[in-house]
Amino acid sequence: MPDAMREMGAIIPASGLADRLTGLFWRRPNLLLLLMLSPPLIWLGVVYLGSLLALLVQSFYSIDEFSGVVKEEFTLKTYVELFRPQNLDIILRTLAMSAAVTLACAVIAFPIAYYAARYARGGWKAVFYLGVLLPLWSSYLVKVYAWKLILAKEGIIGWAAEATGTGFILNAVLSIPGIGGNSLSTSLLGTFIVFVYVWLPYMILPMQAALERVPTSMLEASADLGATRAQTFRTVILPLALPGIIAGSIFTFSLTMGDYIIPQIVGTSARFIGLAVYQLQGVAGNLPLAAAFAVVPIVIMVIYLYVAKRQGAFDAL
Amino acid sequence: MNNAVTFTGVSRHFGAVRAVDDVSLTIAEGAFFAMLGPSGSGKTTCLRLISGFEKPTGGAIRIFGQDVSDTPPHLRNVNTVFQDYALFPHMNVRDNVAYGLMVKGMGRAARYAKADEMLALVKLDSYGDRKPGQLSGGQRQRVALARALVNEPRVLLLDEPLGALDLKLREAMQDELKALQQRLGITFVFVTHDQHEALSMADSLAVFNEGRIAQIGTPEQVYTRPATRFVADFVGSSNVLPPDLTARIGGPTSWSSLRPEALHIAEGGPLTGSVTTLRYLGAGTRAVIDVAGTEVGVFVPAGQPVPQPGTTVSLGFAPHDLHVMADA
Repeated sequence: MPDAMREMGAIIPASGLADRLTGLFWRRPNLLLLLMLSPPLIWLGVVYLGSLLALLVQSFYSIDEFSGVVKEEFTLKTYVELFRPQNLDIILRTLAMSAAVTLACAVIAFPIAYYAARYARGGWKAVFYLGVLLPLWSSYLVKVYAWKLILAKEGIIGWAAEATGTGFILNAVLSIPGIGGNSLSTSLLGTFIVFVYVWLPYMILPMQAALERVPTSMLEASADLGATRAQTFRTVILPLALPGIIAGSIFTFSLTMGDYIIPQIVGTSARFIGLAVYQLQGVAGNLPLAAAFAVVPIVIMVIYLYVAKRQGAFDAL
Repeated sequence: MNNAVTFTGVSRHFGAVRAVDDVSLTIAEGAFFAMLGPSGSGKTTCLRLISGFEKPTGGAIRIFGQDVSDTPPHLRNVNTVFQDYALFPHMNVRDNVAYGLMVKGMGRAARYAKADEMLALVKLDSYGDRKPGQLSGGQRQRVALARALVNEPRVLLLDEPLGALDLKLREAMQDELKALQQRLGITFVFVTHDQHEALSMADSLAVFNEGRIAQIGTPEQVYTRPATRFVADFVGSSNVLPPDLTARIGGPTSWSSLRPEALHIAEGGPLTGSVTTLRYLGAGTRAVIDVAGTEVGVFVPAGQPVPQPGTTVSLGFAPHDLHVMADA
């Protein structure tokens, strides 16, 4: 009788491998965490960051100007080369384009994200997500070529301008030095339009997520205390949505900085960082300079995030 | 005395849902007024109608005699303490409190001085530099109070102000709110679903049910003379007697109520039944007697003999304590 009692005791005996594994993980919770995290960490650490590091190392090498062979000695010569006028030109052009695209995306995305976060319910919310995500399902190349046709001289925009007698406006815009050109598809303005189109969803989604987290009562509290709509926007909505705007701008900014396909298809022959990297590592075989160019967006993003943090952009997180 | 808030046949319908349905009430200036009711009874919607976050679909609302139908929230001299406090997380406590002055264009030094004064009023003098996230629930509640009071509103609205606090803090805040209201002399309108809170703090209250006012009066009137079965059920642990039982004990054939304190165990009393459960309350014991299928609670003060479960007892009461209610 006492033996039988003992067998029916408070502890159910472990049976099988699964029970013993569960027991092991229960006793050592860190073991399970380690098992779950190690594959992604190995991927991130070795394959991803490792290759980035290899790239960084390359940027400290230089190329022998006569033989065209990479000299594997550490030097800052390649970085000095970045500051040659034609290279600096590429960097500044890319920077200006990225900033303009980010700003335009933020301005266009805000009302859309605000509507989706505050007013859209049920079916309309689904329509919003579909509308934002649908363009991402089709091929990036197809979209860019489609835009080339839209923006071409014989394209729908030119045709509509002619048909409505507003062709002179289009021509006036295209004659602006620096951003204009023969047609929209061969101007920097065209490049800008396509960039904004392609990266817009990456701005809308984080912005919408940030706005969704702002409780309605906070906006009501602001109005209750006497703030006008404009004041509420400036002092409550904008600061609280800022982390989302920054997150979105990281996407639009860095994606624009690294892209080399859009400027090749739509725009002038003016080069951007992505295109420069592409050409330097391929045709020119100047891997060190390509690597040095690739470091530029990283440095700019680090500076950008540092400034954003100093300005208190992440205080509401 | 002036009327701070007047509702005349006010309705707020959301499609087929009648959140507030033909409500008329007046709140006197300087009153501590409670809106009591279960969730979905329309009390919060009434509060939002006063603050201006809801527009009535019918009727008229007057604040100090002025029709506010077309006045947006930010132009009403009314401020709200929100249920979730709604403090701005990106501003420190001082900036939160000074917000109402900032949007009116008051200079930094003047508004900070006023904000610190308000923080002293709610006993948070040294907390101005902290962020709301670093405060406890009770402290956040005080900040919300200071922020709403900084604009010197003529009516302060409080939406379930103590709902998120634990019991001990809640009781302390009840006393403090009451003292604050008496000191400032402004009208407080607060919404709650807690009958004890409403009875202990308010000097008059409205009981809401399904978008309408079931009863309006002083706490004593509502507690001792509930107008309907709903009020008797919701407000107190009052016994509700069905018409046949009321008639049997000498009343008319309608629903009535009898407070547990009004009953006492008496040989030969009109209500007879067996004791089902006992609950010890410290100051006495509450015994539940099954009288012909109706549960009747009786409060037995400490020191008096407590009947044991299963025994049969009779209950007596003074005839004037039997309160006959309106509903058939």
